[in-house]
Amino acid sequence: MKIRNLLAGFVFSVFAASSLASSGLTGQPAPDFALKSSTGANLRLSEYRGDVVMINFWATWCGPCRQEMPLLDELYSRYQRVGFNLLGVNIDDDSNRAMAMINELGVSFPVLFDASKEVSRLYQVDAMPVTVIVDREGNVRHVHQGYKPGYEQKYLDQVRALLRE
Amino acid sequence: MSRKLLTSLAAGLALAFAVTVPAQEAASPDADAARAASMARDAEDAASRDQFRQLDQDVQSLKKEVLDLNRDLFLLEEELLFPANSQVAFFISMDVGEYFKLDSVSLKINGKEVANYLYTDREAGSLLRGGVHRVHMANLKTGDHELVAIFTGQGPHTRDYRRGATLNFSKGIGAKYVELEITDRVKKQQPEFVIKEWE
Repeated sequence: MKIRNLLAGFVFSVFAASSLASSGLTGQPAPDFALKSSTGANLRLSEYRGDVVMINFWATWCGPCRQEMPLLDELYSRYQRVGFNLLGVNIDDDSNRAMAMINELGVSFPVLFDASKEVSRLYQVDAMPVTVIVDREGNVRHVHQGYKPGYEQKYLDQVRALLRE
Repeated sequence: MSRKLLTSLAAGLALAFAVTVPAQEAASPDADAARAASMARDAEDAASRDQFRQLDQDVQSLKKEVLDLNRDLFLLEEELLFPANSQVAFFISMDVGEYFKLDSVSLKINGKEVANYLYTDREAGSLLRGGVHRVHMANLKTGDHELVAIFTGQGPHTRDYRRGATLNFSKGIGAKYVELEITDRVKKQQPEFVIKEWE
């Protein structure tokens, strides 16, 4: 009985810790990072201060990511000219696979490679995909874990609201 | 009359003498005692003066020891409690940069990687315009240390380039500044990596 209680407590604490971790970034300054991008250039988040930035963590083995990426690209193409930027952060160990998928899907937003998973750890990524929306001041305003059809409307509303600020 | 006066004077003197001599005879043992006492007192005074001097010396030496200890403690405190003094800052600068396009710098101190910095185009451009970037700040113990800096980027003819530079430096008390400078060696048409210690 005692063991069961202990186990239940442990499971609860792990669950509580993970849910806290995922929401812990909201309202906080977005941790800065620099990564190599698909174009070969290094990109640093803090250089986009003043723009609304969406950071999308994805992997080639993640089905919902594949589903979501063309929709994100549409969002990027539409709002890029008014101060919106999208950084796709790929967490695959092999960046070649990511490059193949980018070419296959034809996405135009910059994709960064986080093979060492340092940035994913920084953003407490514990689901796939994870989408973080950063406001013009550089603060994390929204964190979305996973993707379900219809999330793109939420993204759209949130990005538009932040662009208006 | 004068004879009477003379006689009485003589009698007076005789009496006076008679009184003085036994008095002198009686005072002599007391004087000895007094002399002895004074000598003893003098000896005692001298001894106490010596003792006092000794004590004074002891106090002085103790005071010196306390001051030495205080100085040692102060230095120790400075060494241990004020990390600013143990700080070593590493800066990256670039001069000309025609033969090298900086991509990243990795720093190792005593064989341990402490910094790995990726430069964006904007940052590399700032370095070319004379900017200096503090790539790392560390707290190091006094003594000898080894710094290895690995620069990656594009060298002449846009070829991938990776070069290392090593510096053995001694860290004393007080902050230390180390500059890693990337310059062009025109003769060889190659970049050059120089590590300098600022005084």
